[in-house]
Amino acid sequence: MWYNYAMMIRVTLSILACKLCRALLRLLGRGGTDFPGRVALKLCPGVLGVLAKNVTTILVTGTNGKTTTSRMIEQVLADAGISYFANKSGANLLSGVTAEFAMHSTLTGKCKYDYALIEADEAAFKAISKFVDAKVVAVTNVFRDQLDRYGEVSHTLDNIRIGVGNSKNATLCLNADDSLSGSLGREMPNPVLYYGVDTPIYKTRVAELSDAPYCPHCKHAYVYDYVTYGHLGGYRCPHCGSHRPAPQVHVSRVLSSDAQCSRVEFSLDGKTVPAVINLPGGYNIYNAATTMAVAKALDIPPELAAKSLGSFSCGFGRMEKFDIRGTSLRMILIKNPAGCNQVLNFLTDTAEPFVFVACLNDRAQDGKDVSWIWDVDFERLVAMEQLQKIVVSGIRADDMAMRFKYAGMPTDKIEVIRDYGQLVESLIQEGKMVYIMPTYTAMLELRGTISKHYGFKAFWE
Amino acid sequence: MELKICHLYPDVLNLYGDRGNILCMEQRLKWRGIDVTTTGVSVGEPLKASDFDLFFIGGGQDFEEEVLLPDLAAGKTAELKAAIEDGATFLAICGGYQMLGAYYKTWDGQQCDFTGALDLYTEGSAERMIGNYAFTCEELGVNVVGFENHSGKTYLGSGVKPLGKVLKGYGNNGADGTEGARYKNVFATYSHGCLLPKNPVLCDHILKTALARKYGAVELPPLDDTLEESAHRYMERRLLGEK
Repeated sequence: MWYNYAMMIRVTLSILACKLCRALLRLLGRGGTDFPGRVALKLCPGVLGVLAKNVTTILVTGTNGKTTTSRMIEQVLADAGISYFANKSGANLLSGVTAEFAMHSTLTGKCKYDYALIEADEAAFKAISKFVDAKVVAVTNVFRDQLDRYGEVSHTLDNIRIGVGNSKNATLCLNADDSLSGSLGREMPNPVLYYGVDTPIYKTRVAELSDAPYCPHCKHAYVYDYVTYGHLGGYRCPHCGSHRPAPQVHVSRVLSSDAQCSRVEFSLDGKTVPAVINLPGGYNIYNAATTMAVAKALDIPPELAAKSLGSFSCGFGRMEKFDIRGTSLRMILIKNPAGCNQVLNFLTDTAEPFVFVACLNDRAQDGKDVSWIWDVDFERLVAMEQLQKIVVSGIRADDMAMRFKYAGMPTDKIEVIRDYGQLVESLIQEGKMVYIMPTYTAMLELRGTISKHYGFKAFWE
Repeated sequence: MELKICHLYPDVLNLYGDRGNILCMEQRLKWRGIDVTTTGVSVGEPLKASDFDLFFIGGGQDFEEEVLLPDLAAGKTAELKAAIEDGATFLAICGGYQMLGAYYKTWDGQQCDFTGALDLYTEGSAERMIGNYAFTCEELGVNVVGFENHSGKTYLGSGVKPLGKVLKGYGNNGADGTEGARYKNVFATYSHGCLLPKNPVLCDHILKTALARKYGAVELPPLDDTLEESAHRYMERRLLGEK
């Protein structure tokens, strides 16, 4: 009995400390998405297990698209009238997730909401899943990403496999078109909902490396009936016969995809559901498909979920728009070659002239190894008629400038502006579309500059 | 003049921006009016080594290297060895570097036999050696900056020389201060980052080596390397401090 009381006191102390820390950091004008959680875990290492106990949790993980997909699912939950909270602003490690649960609980550890929507870093997922018994686990995809941090793709897949192994009661929503993460469906005993896209999604595609050219079972090269992007698409192994599983939720047609939105048709449960996806870029069609699969797993009607796709908003550097003094800035976070190439695919399909800005940092959260910029098909960008100028910034601005030089950009059309204040001030003079592609910490700094000088919201609001 | 580059296993050994090294060599040749063709040779495709002047081998994932071993044994190993002995120019990085050695022994004692083209071998270790690093290359009198990410520790035999001495970072094995390997016209290193654009002196030296074998001694006209030098200097200063 005394043990229970001691545990309860410990949990309460841990939650209290977390809430106080967050309040203090916010007073100081800081985000405090992570540190309060670390304090809570220090005081009570198992606190997340207590906090998450009676909450229906949806976990979203994978290399690319976690945040956008989470915002789409969030809109579905809101439109379905479900009481939920979500971890925003990239608090997706064990400490950040713990902090979010604590902030949405009473001091006794009771969650104030029925559902939790949690975006989990693919490496942190295996730790988070030890404490959180998810009802749904959605995996977006697996691509090579920040090799210094995540290691090789097989290692990322191993981590996700362990996390899924911990999630014994979860329905898995898996990408049928991804031979890597999709393989979990065969290996795990959990119920699986596959989602996929049945047709190509871009008019033209940049040259990409495949992260999974060979069948892991028999080591023969895959054959593709069609490719959507990267190694995603209708794959099959001619040697051992393993192939893309038939998805239960699929995009059967892409009707249009422009600089504002994509119009698609979903097929599921024997019917066709049209949807407008409120964010451009073919890769967001996948995020929408993941969302539709999660909705199905939660028994939310597909018509309702499809409608939510037309009204959600993402922000936080995912095609985020800032209109300042007549110049339209669009900020698109970049992390790895696959994600970056998709943005180039999107730009290929746009018509307006634009200025392209790349901000490359190499802190731990960005990836310390910047070699991946050489795997991006910037040659295609440089060849675009719409491209007016390239501006580079960030800690590794020199490497970025050099990348564009070797991609064929005349050096007099590559401008280096190191100071973010100066950078934004110069960009808003452009008077045309500006696409800014920052790495993670560069995005935080840039958003900080923009919110401070031009009155946009801070990232945690 | 014309240089024929062979990019070995481009669809498999391409982990760390390796394409950038090819791109860098191609551009620096083209900017000087020298013709260049690059041919990818992958699994199942025959390799006739005498068709090429310069070979590039990049790094790959462990799983993918398993795919390559039977393919190497089926004929490429013999071609590569003969080309090396014949004085063809090679640039091999990370996994490609290890592959030119005798073997790779995993931490639990399993041995994977490699080509044995160079007198060196690699042993797996539990820790990964990751980070920006720098080494000095005495042959060229320059420092080279790059990024290393490997768990294999490579040890050189008496038949090869190191490419350089580690100034900051781990290098071949984190213990003996050596980095990379040199043998005849083979340049092998753990440095990606990617290597050549930030180290234009090394890039031009490799190109000159390959051209000289074909055309006799050549001089390469200088290029405007302002951006390259700036990127090089930034990392050199960050790692080694002000000189």
